[in-house]
Amino acid sequence: MCGIVGLHLKNPELYPRLGELLASMLDCMTSRGPDSAGLALYGDDADHQPRMEIFKDVGLPREICERYGVAKRSGYQGIGHTRMATESAVTTEHSHPFAPAENMALVHNGSFSNHASVRRRLESDGIRFVTDNDSEVAARYIAHQVGHGADLGDALRMVLKEMDGFFTLLVTTATQFAVMRDSFACKPAVIAETTDYVAMASEYHALASLPGIGSATVFEPAPEEVYTWTR
Amino acid sequence: MDTLNAGGVRLSCADLTTREINAALAELPDGAEARIEEPWGRHNLAVGLTNRITIDIDGNAGYFIGGLCDGPDITVDGFVGWSVGENLMSGSVRVRGNVSECAGASAHGGTIIIHGDASSRAGISLKGGTVLVGGDVGHMSGFMAQAGTMLVGGDAGHALGDSLYEAVIYVAGKIASLGSDAKVENLTDSDVLRVKQLIDLAGFDHIDPQNVKRVASARQLYNFDALKDQKY
Repeated sequence: MCGIVGLHLKNPELYPRLGELLASMLDCMTSRGPDSAGLALYGDDADHQPRMEIFKDVGLPREICERYGVAKRSGYQGIGHTRMATESAVTTEHSHPFAPAENMALVHNGSFSNHASVRRRLESDGIRFVTDNDSEVAARYIAHQVGHGADLGDALRMVLKEMDGFFTLLVTTATQFAVMRDSFACKPAVIAETTDYVAMASEYHALASLPGIGSATVFEPAPEEVYTWTR
Repeated sequence: MDTLNAGGVRLSCADLTTREINAALAELPDGAEARIEEPWGRHNLAVGLTNRITIDIDGNAGYFIGGLCDGPDITVDGFVGWSVGENLMSGSVRVRGNVSECAGASAHGGTIIIHGDASSRAGISLKGGTVLVGGDVGHMSGFMAQAGTMLVGGDAGHALGDSLYEAVIYVAGKIASLGSDAKVENLTDSDVLRVKQLIDLAGFDHIDPQNVKRVASARQLYNFDALKDQKY
């Protein structure tokens, strides 16, 4: 298991509430991943340049959000992850999100079975890894594709060709928010969209406390489709 | 818990745990009515019940709604998550919205009625239950379904009926592709009658029973000799 959440705000009036809304969503996903949790939050700095910050740690999502004051943080988009570790150690480094490039973050629910082969290929191209985690391989693979000129959607579609396994992926850059599920749609995902935001979570109840959710367009992303929103 | 005008029971997810709600439902006498309020995506509501009661879930609910039930008639006024009516034995689960994956998985009996669309793997491993979907179904629906009936009022996704055993799937719309060992068969008069009965049961008004496709097993993938072990 594992839980993922994400929020891409369209309405700037909600920017001050980014952390508060995401912390609540992440807490809802504790049952899917009580080992560790983390978030990537995107805001604008004093020079109006996008700035991404990562907070991740071992323990329950609620405790981690309190420890880093997530609820008080503002911004225009963020993603989060609650981890139930299956294939590598429970440490802060092994926690999601993974940040393989400047202003890029990835959270993953699922598992990759050929991550060792892909890792060897990437290492031979000079890519350096921090952990032996399978999700880090996907993150660095996508960053590698983007670094060679692919747009984020194309890089995600390359994951379908190169990586074997089960996955729901949520990937963000300074301007984009993208969701993709594997061919079998083995891992859950639900998206809610209103005029104010796009929200994504593993399970609907993580979205249920968002403002205006009652009138949101709620749908399940189809397998192998890349869904992208751009700021 | 307070009393409905109709003599039923209100149970609010805002006040009660899932276990408390299911325990309260299980204690109701046959013929009772209950309404579950404020579900907001709560999982495992109205599961494992064996009494003949009527339950309304007032909003969007989560996973396994009505699972393992053997008696009640459940209606959801909203959408639900994965595995609605999973392993249903008898009774019904009606969803007035869309449902996520694995609707009616392994249902042995009873009826799951979905007014909207169902996602992937609807009716997976069906074992005798009836799954009626007014809208579309996602890929791999009817996968390894052994017995029972599915009706799809809209279109079916890829690999419909993959590895089918003896369940039958009727599809009113387009089929993206058939799975291994599934084939379209001629529609007989008894199929038309059966589809008409299913439409009436569901209350659907957009399906022409004479204009559906019957999908069943080509029986090339599995070999089952019921008499093989008779000598023992």
